[in-house]
Amino acid sequence: MLKLDTVSRRFGNTIAVSDCTLTIPAGQMVGIIGRSGAGKSTLLRMINRLIDPSGGRIRFGEVEVSALKGSMLRSWQRDCAMIFQQFNLVPRIDVLTNVLLGRLNSRNTATSLLGMFTRKERAEALTALERLDIAEVALQRAGTLSGGQQQRVAIARALMQNPKMILADEPIASLDPRNAKIVMDSLKQINKSEGITVICNLHTLDTARAYCRRIIGMRGGHVVFDGSPEDLTTEVAQELYGADGLKDAFSESITSTSLPTGAPALARERANSVGPITEPIAAG
Amino acid sequence: MLDSQHSASKADIVEANFQKLARSRRLYTWFALVALAIAVSWSAWFANDSNAGKFLDRLPYLFDFFIDLAPRDVMEPPRALFDVESPYFDGSFKYDYPEGRVYLIGDFYLPEYFYKMIETLNIAAVSTIFGYALGFVLSFLAAANMNSNRWLRFGVRRFLEILRAFPEIVIAGFFLVVFSLGAIPAMLAVAIHTVGALGKMFYEVVENADLKPDEGLRAVGANWVERVWFGMVPQVMPNFVSYGLLRFEINVRASTIIGAVGGGGIGESLRLSITRGHEAKTIAIIFLLFVTIIVVDQLSAYLRRKLVGEQAFLMERAA
Repeated sequence: MLKLDTVSRRFGNTIAVSDCTLTIPAGQMVGIIGRSGAGKSTLLRMINRLIDPSGGRIRFGEVEVSALKGSMLRSWQRDCAMIFQQFNLVPRIDVLTNVLLGRLNSRNTATSLLGMFTRKERAEALTALERLDIAEVALQRAGTLSGGQQQRVAIARALMQNPKMILADEPIASLDPRNAKIVMDSLKQINKSEGITVICNLHTLDTARAYCRRIIGMRGGHVVFDGSPEDLTTEVAQELYGADGLKDAFSESITSTSLPTGAPALARERANSVGPITEPIAAG
Repeated sequence: MLDSQHSASKADIVEANFQKLARSRRLYTWFALVALAIAVSWSAWFANDSNAGKFLDRLPYLFDFFIDLAPRDVMEPPRALFDVESPYFDGSFKYDYPEGRVYLIGDFYLPEYFYKMIETLNIAAVSTIFGYALGFVLSFLAAANMNSNRWLRFGVRRFLEILRAFPEIVIAGFFLVVFSLGAIPAMLAVAIHTVGALGKMFYEVVENADLKPDEGLRAVGANWVERVWFGMVPQVMPNFVSYGLLRFEINVRASTIIGAVGGGGIGESLRLSITRGHEAKTIAIIFLLFVTIIVVDQLSAYLRRKLVGEQAFLMERAA
């Protein structure tokens, strides 16, 4: 169970996240939505402690996450895997080693630096890659892969951490619709079968609706909505995105990573009910 | 949607501002050029004025040196270079070319100046390797993106500055007093300067590196050494090696110069033969230096092109 208690973060004079209080039970799949600059990214980074909170407390079970330091902090970061919009792999290293790097925290630094990973660890990494259906690129340099493949490698690396939670910061914002669906499906599947909590920043309403049973809406650093997809009415969306932003948020046929479903007008209409991303895609 | 009238007026404003900017930029360029011209002519005058012999008065004597350098016949410099006996040998040191041969196996020998050239290259190579290793470690401590401790960073940066503030020849002068003549003080001097010079170039590479891999590793729970090794080193290595090779080129020259002040190697031979007026030997050494430096530069340029070219290729693919 993850508990955030009046967590805030300031950058100079601007307040990125303000008094954020949330409770996220283990095993949930949560989508965080809002305009860019709403504080979604900062919030996730504070949970992983890539950014330190300026105020408030973060607890995970018995662990006071916001007070961790040194090796305790690093082992928290191992438990709380993170996936990024730009994948953040090491482009010049092969895919298999990139996945093995997910283990760094649980092993001896000297043997890691020498690249002395065990046969068992390599087998585990390969299993993780197989699970994401990209084992065939295991020996390629990560930088030579397409965005969708790289994001899947990043998920495999996250799995290699044996995490208790996965934080995904705009995981599909740089991907084409087809890869976006593969990545979101993988996260959903990991959440379901392993019971790992997944918290996912998304900028499109329909993706959040399609994959997350719980949606948190942020605006100007505040949590302004916390509920089920059914509660996310047009009025709420309007509050989240503002009167001007609402049009952008819904005209996903132009800007978003959701799957195209014919006429743009139709897509806009349907965005209010069911996300088009849920629709099956034809192979090839 | 913008109406056309609105956008037209906006374009006019942009155009007017652009013109204004361009005018002031041109004005400043002229100011700078005039200032530069004044500065250059003043410093040339100053240099001439402070020199003992006036430049224009002494210019005709420039060629005397080259006339003195003419050997007795065309084959003399090659003989001096390969330590072959000279027909002019009269018992004096000037024509005693075989003296100084380094016998390897039986009658097979390495000519003296080749041996000395290898000595100089060795000084350059060893000092580049030591300087590279230490500069490598220190650069990550000096880079703002890898070391958030301001005081440590400040300390390391000042340390690197001090090391590169002194030219090799000044450090060599100091070490020559301590360790006496030879290759060791030369190596130390060149290595120390190399740490400072490479350390600075390296930390600038690190500070310009893409931080996404590092962020990914931080989020994995990797410690500092692991972040450096896996997140930074793969991407900065081509640039580091390229700078290292460039430094090796510079260090070959530096070792030669230090040799001339007592650091051993080819520089010492060159100084001796010039001051003693051994024209054939001088020409042989200058030729050997010339060829060696060209070969080293071309080889390192080729390697650097390969390295950086490969990186450019990868970046293109990632984009």
